[in-house]
Amino acid sequence: MPFIDARQIPDGTELTPDLAIIGGGPAGITLALSLANTPIKILLLESGGMEFDAATQALYAGEETGVHYIALDATRLRYLGGGTNHWGGWSRPLDKIDFERREWLPFSGWPFPREEIEPYFSRAQQLIEAGPFLYDKLAEGELPGPLLPMGKGGLYNSFFQFSQWRGSPEHLPTAFGHRYADQLKRLPNLQLMLHANVTGLRLAQDVRWLDHLDVATLSGRKFSVKPRHTVLACGGIENARILLASNETMAAGVGNQNDQVGRFFADHAIPRDTATLVIFGGEIAGYYKATKDAQGAHFRATISPTEAFRRDRQLLGALITVEQHVELDPLGRATVETASAALGVDAGNGHAYSLGVGLELAPDPDRRLTLGNTRDALGMPRLKLNMTIADGDLTRYREVLNELGRQLLAANTGMLRIDRHTRAEWLSVMDWGNHHMGTTRMHEDPTQGVVDANSQVHGMANLFVAGSSVFPTYSASNPTLNLVALTLRLADHLRGVFR
Amino acid sequence: MRRTRRNFLVVGTGAGIAIAGAVGYEGWRYFAKQYPPTPYDDLLSYLSDREAAKQIGRAFLATNRGFTPANAAAALRKRIGARPISNVLHDELAAGDIVEATHWLLPQTLVGLCALAATT
Repeated sequence: MPFIDARQIPDGTELTPDLAIIGGGPAGITLALSLANTPIKILLLESGGMEFDAATQALYAGEETGVHYIALDATRLRYLGGGTNHWGGWSRPLDKIDFERREWLPFSGWPFPREEIEPYFSRAQQLIEAGPFLYDKLAEGELPGPLLPMGKGGLYNSFFQFSQWRGSPEHLPTAFGHRYADQLKRLPNLQLMLHANVTGLRLAQDVRWLDHLDVATLSGRKFSVKPRHTVLACGGIENARILLASNETMAAGVGNQNDQVGRFFADHAIPRDTATLVIFGGEIAGYYKATKDAQGAHFRATISPTEAFRRDRQLLGALITVEQHVELDPLGRATVETASAALGVDAGNGHAYSLGVGLELAPDPDRRLTLGNTRDALGMPRLKLNMTIADGDLTRYREVLNELGRQLLAANTGMLRIDRHTRAEWLSVMDWGNHHMGTTRMHEDPTQGVVDANSQVHGMANLFVAGSSVFPTYSASNPTLNLVALTLRLADHLRGVFR
Repeated sequence: MRRTRRNFLVVGTGAGIAIAGAVGYEGWRYFAKQYPPTPYDDLLSYLSDREAAKQIGRAFLATNRGFTPANAAAALRKRIGARPISNVLHDELAAGDIVEATHWLLPQTLVGLCALAATT
């Protein structure tokens, strides 16, 4: 059926679906699609419309303190499709180690191993349209150019795949809203409502039960939705905001009886030009510098620490990318000539490149979202983000670079110059991935997490959370593929709940 | 040996190659940078381009004040022994003995040689 415009809903209306999904980003749309053709009557509430709208986007504005971070209304998009409206399509599954509890990493560990979401990767890969699920298996097939000889060591050639919306002009990454709009309209058990902002979760007298949702539009309409079950799928920032702001009955907010909601905010740190890579034997294969096609996949190589190396050295995820060609200064040229000659390697055709990276941060309870003192146009409290990055996060990456430098020299492949040293230097080139994670973390123990292993909010009988806000540790991998897989798992669970 | 035309050509060509080689060698010696003898020439001979090595060494020494050439040379001789320098460096790399010099990650012995070059 056609999408509904919430601005046409009469004031005071009460809607009674079986399932309310709050948020029409990749998690919300995945959930709706995967519950298609079930007896479950679904209402998906999306704040935005089909396109960007400045007034709606302004609802995202907030305040940032601590380490410089992107403005909260610039780091995400509030219309159907959510973050997939501006993502780059970078995709990579979480590794086994990402799910493990590591003694040396406080707050680490998921309540289940990677095997639990592996069955969902194939379908998730289809939904994001990233071609066959190959990733590191790409190295076993034919590639357009040689792999970088890495020799033995802690780093290896690994791969990103990219979402490529087959039907779009220029094959842009799949924007879930536009890509799946027609399919969503055809679902007999789905109503999708645009311009519908959930402004509060209202609890029953028994505070374990979510009674209804307050919904408002920017045009001034107000109505309520009284679902049997609700899934919050508004992204890693807004999920926490709605829980915290729903504080009429429980002063700390819904699901926040243990002061966990909003803590452990995470993103991928992306410091630019961290190091210079010299390849002795000539130009590096093009698929390290840009996306290429092979084996049915749109892909790009990355250099990553192995799981064994990460365990051994107590390191976090890092996905190193080769960026631009750079010219060496005279000292750099002298160093390359001297080192290569001493190793017995000809570097006469050497090439130099700057390196980028996507870094995993260690979980930090003080990297946190809290409610601010100002309110948005709908009267909801705006958020305040306290952003942090620990010296340890940078030191760990530095160790990865040391190993890369050692390994390249040992393999007679090339050498490495570290271009950032002090914390100030690192922060001066710091960018962020806009991958919001961790604020409603998953943990079996309610004192250490917001949702349980089934993504159900601790202490709430009918409220679930979908998306990367439930990630307790984050990996360096981009979250979309993984959150879609996790949402498919949640859909299976909800089928059981409604049975 | 009979004086045949063939023998004449063979001997002549050989002599020509020898003369060209000698001229080339002397020419290289004439044009190549000459360094006064140092106590470390046995070690500095491992460096293909001493001027380049000096640049690295100077930059390294600028932030490593405690470098003592004689002590460093003794340690380097012991470490290298009679092995080819590339073998020494690869063994170091396998053992993880790398240092950051002028922001480059380099085998320890190579940095030591460059630092020694910078002191000459």
